[in-house]
Amino acid sequence: MNEIGELCILLSLGISIYSFIVPILGVKKKKGELIASAENSIFTILGLISISSFILIYAFLIRDFSVEYVSSYSNRDLSTFYTISAFWAGQKGSLLFWTWLLSIFGAVVVIQNRKKNRELMPYVLSTISLTLCLFLALMVFVARPFGLIYPPEDGHGLNPMLQNPGMVFHPPTLYIGYVGFTIPFAFAMASLLTGQLGDVWIKTTRRWTIFSWFFLGMGNLLGAWWAYRVLGWGGYWAWDPVENASFMPWLTGTAYLHSVMIQERRGMLKVWNMVLIVMTFCLTIFGTFLTRSGIVQSVHSFGESTVGYYFLAFLIVTIIFSSYLIISKLSLLKSNNELDSIVSRESSFLFNNLILVGAAFATFWGTMFPVISETIRGEKITVGPPFFNQVNIPIGLALLLLAGICPLISWKRASINNLKRNFLTPFLVSIICGIALIPIGIGHIFAWFSFTISIFVLTTILMEFHRSAKTRRETTGEGFVKALITLFRKNKRRYGGYIIHIGVVLMYIGITGTSYNIEKEATLKNGESMSIGNYKLIYRGLNYKEPVPTKAEVIATMDVEKNGKIIVTALPKKDFYKTSEEPISRVYNLSGLKEDLYIILAGFPIPFQKDSPATFKIHVNPLVKWLWIGGIVLGIGTFIAMLPDWKEKK
Amino acid sequence: MNKKQLKFIIGSVVIVAAIGYLVITGISKTSVYYLTVDELLSRGDSVFGEGVRVEGKVLDGSIKKDPSGLKVDFRITDGKKDIAVHYEGIIPDLFVDGRDVVVEGKYRREGIFTAHTLLTSCPSKYESAGKDHPQEVKKI
Repeated sequence: MNEIGELCILLSLGISIYSFIVPILGVKKKKGELIASAENSIFTILGLISISSFILIYAFLIRDFSVEYVSSYSNRDLSTFYTISAFWAGQKGSLLFWTWLLSIFGAVVVIQNRKKNRELMPYVLSTISLTLCLFLALMVFVARPFGLIYPPEDGHGLNPMLQNPGMVFHPPTLYIGYVGFTIPFAFAMASLLTGQLGDVWIKTTRRWTIFSWFFLGMGNLLGAWWAYRVLGWGGYWAWDPVENASFMPWLTGTAYLHSVMIQERRGMLKVWNMVLIVMTFCLTIFGTFLTRSGIVQSVHSFGESTVGYYFLAFLIVTIIFSSYLIISKLSLLKSNNELDSIVSRESSFLFNNLILVGAAFATFWGTMFPVISETIRGEKITVGPPFFNQVNIPIGLALLLLAGICPLISWKRASINNLKRNFLTPFLVSIICGIALIPIGIGHIFAWFSFTISIFVLTTILMEFHRSAKTRRETTGEGFVKALITLFRKNKRRYGGYIIHIGVVLMYIGITGTSYNIEKEATLKNGESMSIGNYKLIYRGLNYKEPVPTKAEVIATMDVEKNGKIIVTALPKKDFYKTSEEPISRVYNLSGLKEDLYIILAGFPIPFQKDSPATFKIHVNPLVKWLWIGGIVLGIGTFIAMLPDWKEKK
Repeated sequence: MNKKQLKFIIGSVVIVAAIGYLVITGISKTSVYYLTVDELLSRGDSVFGEGVRVEGKVLDGSIKKDPSGLKVDFRITDGKKDIAVHYEGIIPDLFVDGRDVVVEGKYRREGIFTAHTLLTSCPSKYESAGKDHPQEVKKI
């Protein structure tokens, strides 16, 4: 069986080389059948890689520990659910998973474009095939998923920290985002190579872009949620190099998502859009390189391996080739229009773009600083979260403000009337709320700005909903709600965008809550209590349990009092797994809209008695829940924006 | 170049400069040296009292935990030399003999590194067990 899996990968490599070269030959020799055969070979690759993937999953399910990968990431005790997720838990399997996704996306692109974009398609196929080649070659020569060993009695098991639903979905979500950006990139390359530099490639890949952008963002958010719930340090984002690695393409992707609207509407920023999509694609490859090379220290790294350097080589080739292409086609990328006024939709989008790319650059610089300083000065100097916060908070606030302005300011040149109509009320509302918020703003100036600007943005959006629905009601006589629904249905992209902005504002509110976090550490004797915020916590001793043979739990009991009443009995615990030397703290989190009470059982003497003293770390994290709620709202908005337009269908 | 374009160029330059300024001041205010034990010791007097990050392995048998569970003394080594570290705070679950750790804090003249941060780096996080378990499997 495993040999078949390996053979499929090998065959796919051969076919992907074929489908890289043949479409270009087909164009040169004007032979349509060559292109058609390349299109079919994408399906063949999809078929073969699917077989490989199923064989690997099957090997996991039947506990075939002669496959080195299976024995490294699973054992007999692992539940079926986590056994399947072990497929993408490690380096080799995730390469296969990635290839699988890319071949699926490639096949979908072929189906979508059977009758469209016939001139672009050969080059799109070549670009996708070349990317496939990279992954397949790695699996053939460097990281073989089906590498065999002498089968041990039992496998190593999956790291207990990864045995969590958040962790099961975090990597694939992120991978979908990473892989997805290959498609708009492939179309961009195709338009450069064919010289067809209109909006066709942008319109064709609009949904691919939103789709990838959404998954990339959600992948990050799921990772944050997992870190918050599982890692037990009280936070969700640490500016770790690998977090940054997936944050950067998200930033440039966000910039691209916005700037293509300017090209569609006004035929401007063509070079910029090319640069942005190339940058985004390169950053996804760069992220893969960072994760897999061990070049920077990170909690996520797969361990040092040579795999990273193949990505680096691919990255360099991509940068050189696409820069050459863009420069050689500069004359064809001329803007159809000029910027008219600095107070206009175009210019606010342009500034939003600059800031997003600036944020990506700042994040890049901070992430790579140890490497840069070591190369230039011979000394390794690091910057930590304070750097990223210091730089990205002001940038983030400027972006938030633009999120309120961009969607409503007029094209070309905003009249005083336009500005008044859209922004005067929100401005006044936010000023009034801002004054009311001064007491909580003292000592937290950025938090104050964040709340005030959030109110501004929300007001602009809600007013726009109200105004448009009212106008529609007046002209059609529909009820207010129905008018609003019709508006959403008729302008999905626009109204989906507004909902996404609302989601983003809610996320900002959640993130801003961090400014007011409090934390406390204490060692308590049985019956002793401590206070934090409005809470009083009374420690009631330790318990021991063995819910399953592979795991033992030490559970602390704690009564949580608020306003003199016991509201809940908290049960933070530590898990001891058979397969792992170290215990894992399981956080008890009492989550509410106002704040989270986050309790970690940090330590206790070993051996312990029922009434041994224990050490706790307690956090009170205000507003965190809004970050997750914002993520869900953002998801709804994305869904609306991606729904097909009825007009297009007719 | 016309007047309109000039405005945009000025606007863009302002944004780029502001971000550049944030990055440069950010780096100079928050950067810390990242040293190995050997590098720390070879820096001599200049290193005392300055915030640094040091990486090393926890010396076997050197961990002395305070009963409170919130203080620990241990030594870290780069294989040749080692230094004493004093840390106060929550001790990570993964903190055990032989673990690769990163400590952040100040090195005192008395030869003790006072750490305010203790990170256990686990290079094989995705690769459960791997390193810690004796290699039971042999390649064919």
